[in-house]
Amino acid sequence: MTMKDASIDDLIDGLATDLKPVRPRRVMQGSLWVVAGWLGVGAVLVALFGARADLVAGAMPPLSMLAFWLTAAAGIAAAWSALRMGLPGVGRDYGGWRWAVGALLALPLAALAVSFGDGHAHTEAAQRSFDIHCLLQGIASGLGVGAALFLWLRAGAPTSPTRAGWVIGIAAGAAGASIIALLCSSDDLVHITLWHASAVPVSAVAGRVLLTRFLRW
Amino acid sequence: MSIDEPSLARLMAASQRGDRAAYQALLGDSRKWLTRYFARRIAPHHIDDLVQETLVSMHRKLATWDSGRAFLPWLAAIARYRWIDMLRRQRDEAELGDNDAAVGAEDEAVHAKLSIDHLLTLLPPGQAQAITLVKIEGASIAEASQISGQSESLVKVNIHRGLKKLAELIESE
Repeated sequence: MTMKDASIDDLIDGLATDLKPVRPRRVMQGSLWVVAGWLGVGAVLVALFGARADLVAGAMPPLSMLAFWLTAAAGIAAAWSALRMGLPGVGRDYGGWRWAVGALLALPLAALAVSFGDGHAHTEAAQRSFDIHCLLQGIASGLGVGAALFLWLRAGAPTSPTRAGWVIGIAAGAAGASIIALLCSSDDLVHITLWHASAVPVSAVAGRVLLTRFLRW
Repeated sequence: MSIDEPSLARLMAASQRGDRAAYQALLGDSRKWLTRYFARRIAPHHIDDLVQETLVSMHRKLATWDSGRAFLPWLAAIARYRWIDMLRRQRDEAELGDNDAAVGAEDEAVHAKLSIDHLLTLLPPGQAQAITLVKIEGASIAEASQISGQSESLVKVNIHRGLKKLAELIESE
């Protein structure tokens, strides 16, 4: 028996002695954290700032409603992928978020088409409602979902911390954008794209830059 | 004792409940499986270190195995993560030129998912050849240079770049 063999034997003995019962982690349990982070922050913001007037009146414009559902779907898909990343397994697919995020590209593409096709009217409208406040609020609104996913993955075993950082950011940004759609009354496509949906790429970069190092294990 | 998926899954489920005897048996079987898993992926003198690191990671992340899923893909994911980590450290330390013989390994379905042969086909030929000669077959830099016709510094550069790309490829799998 070599020294290495003996040291692995000792290690195995030590780990076995150290064993404590563990409660297996379930994706559903993490999902509850995410739902709590999403609804909790959303409820607080609606209570603080009030929901948009047309939503209160029960007549949210179709464009705003579409943007809400697009960002919410992207947030759900990204959050689900991030949750699954916490339970590793070769051959598991964590890429579901790509499709929903790809669908989000409809917003900037449509905004570009509208800007070029309709003269300056929409661009001017967006400039009038230049509102970095919406963007900051959107990013802050995603912090509940971001924190829930970060804590879940810190305790889990993400095998690609870089990708996990990106996806946490995307989920948080999309969740935040969906909350802002319920607060900001603008129904302008350029404004929605620039000041609501851009929370997604901004949060994604923040997730990649700030979180990746803490997700290594 | 043969290492089969249902037995391992049973041992793992018992381990999660705190059964030390089952856990000791599981760690022993995992050690054998990991030794074979790493044999074709890294120079022989690193295998034992990597097996130990993987066993410790497995211990720390015991709760992340879902009893509704197979055990070996879970173990392989942890092993792969530790392997990438070691590749990164090797790249960072520019630790080049080892002289060890390669060890054969049996192929298994879960191994094939991330076969090093497959990954090497995704690298430029010069990088793949340098890594194969030095990191897998255990040739020295000078020998690799002679066999491949690359200068010694090019062999080192190709290994450095190749390992970096390999780590990125493995993460994206």
